[in-house]
Amino acid sequence: MSKISKIMNGELVTVNIADPVSRVVDLMENFRIGGLPVVEQEQLVGIITSRDVRRSHPNRLVADAMSRKVVTIRPDCSLWDAKELLEEYGIERLVVAEEERPVGIVTKSRVYAEIGKHMDALTGLNRAQYLQRKASELLCEGKEIVFIFIDMDNFGMIDKRLGHAVGDEILTSVAKLLNSLVEDGTDFLCRYAGDEFAVLTTRPLEEAKQLAWKMISAIEEANWSGGIIVTGSAGIAGGRRKGIRSDINETYTIADLINMASLSSTKAKKEKKRVLVAEQMEIEHRVTPDI
Amino acid sequence: MTKLTNDFLANENVRRAEISIRMSQFEIPPMQDVLLVGKRAPIGAEAVRRMVDAVSPEQYEIIRMEHEIFEAAVLRRSLVKLVPQEKLMKIILEEGERVAVQDSVIKAQVNIVIQITRGVDL
Repeated sequence: MSKISKIMNGELVTVNIADPVSRVVDLMENFRIGGLPVVEQEQLVGIITSRDVRRSHPNRLVADAMSRKVVTIRPDCSLWDAKELLEEYGIERLVVAEEERPVGIVTKSRVYAEIGKHMDALTGLNRAQYLQRKASELLCEGKEIVFIFIDMDNFGMIDKRLGHAVGDEILTSVAKLLNSLVEDGTDFLCRYAGDEFAVLTTRPLEEAKQLAWKMISAIEEANWSGGIIVTGSAGIAGGRRKGIRSDINETYTIADLINMASLSSTKAKKEKKRVLVAEQMEIEHRVTPDI
Repeated sequence: MTKLTNDFLANENVRRAEISIRMSQFEIPPMQDVLLVGKRAPIGAEAVRRMVDAVSPEQYEIIRMEHEIFEAAVLRRSLVKLVPQEKLMKIILEEGERVAVQDSVIKAQVNIVIQITRGVDL
């Protein structure tokens, strides 16, 4: 999983709270950077950006020009955590800090460029990695999770008969359709692979089942150009939490759930059942002994 | 005519420097009774605090504020003994707003005279 520590700029240039703004200007020009963490006795106390500098007299102390509200992120956080923070606060950079001590800086463009590698270029949806990260986060928060796995029926035939360009158009439209049915903060959609989509949801199993039916019906009922028949099958797997979380076990749990949902979608396709729920499993968490 | 004047007239390209010096006592503290610090002044609230702490420790109060023009005021503590801070600051800010812009640092001398009339039984 991509951590902030891997993409941050660790060669940190900082300024002292008692430095003049003119020194900040020099540093920004020399290092071609737009924001500097401000420190006092090695502790992070603020941030000064090119915008602050433009609005301040060069004689001023950094303390009188900086912003004291610094949004920080820990180096072990994920790219998506960084993205959420950047969007929530509408800022251009995050200071990476460990126990109030700045250790790096990461910019919005760097985070977005990195996240772009985890996004599907065709549909604009996240890739599978995002879903795994989100599932892990939800389990940490003590939420129950359900996976819906959607597999397009006979999509290979569509590609062969109508060409990959048409196939790609259909996949893009399916992605838009599915996206219109998910709810922000509750459902997390991704293009899992080729003609497979997956939704991670915190809805109860019964509601997740209803959502799966809506999705499958929406695909079938859409007005596909040229009268093409496009259908899909869905598999659902959800778990109930038990015990105390262990990170190693959690990874297996998530993989198991995705696998079960995927196998159920294959079974639903074979048996022409459209939506099939995998046998409910309990998520067992290994109790980590205190050291 | 003196020789110097003759020389000067003879050569108009001579350049001269005249030096005049005015000496006076540096006021400590240099900010009198009140200092109003504009939001875009060359010196900010933190720098003022450090200066005041250095030249006149414990004699002034730094008041940071959310104001259209000023970001801070420095007030001599002894004044607050005579008039409550809120009342004094209200008047000072009202008058300061009339003469200052965000780039300004305004110093003000404040004279407070308290009139007291007391009666005693004869």
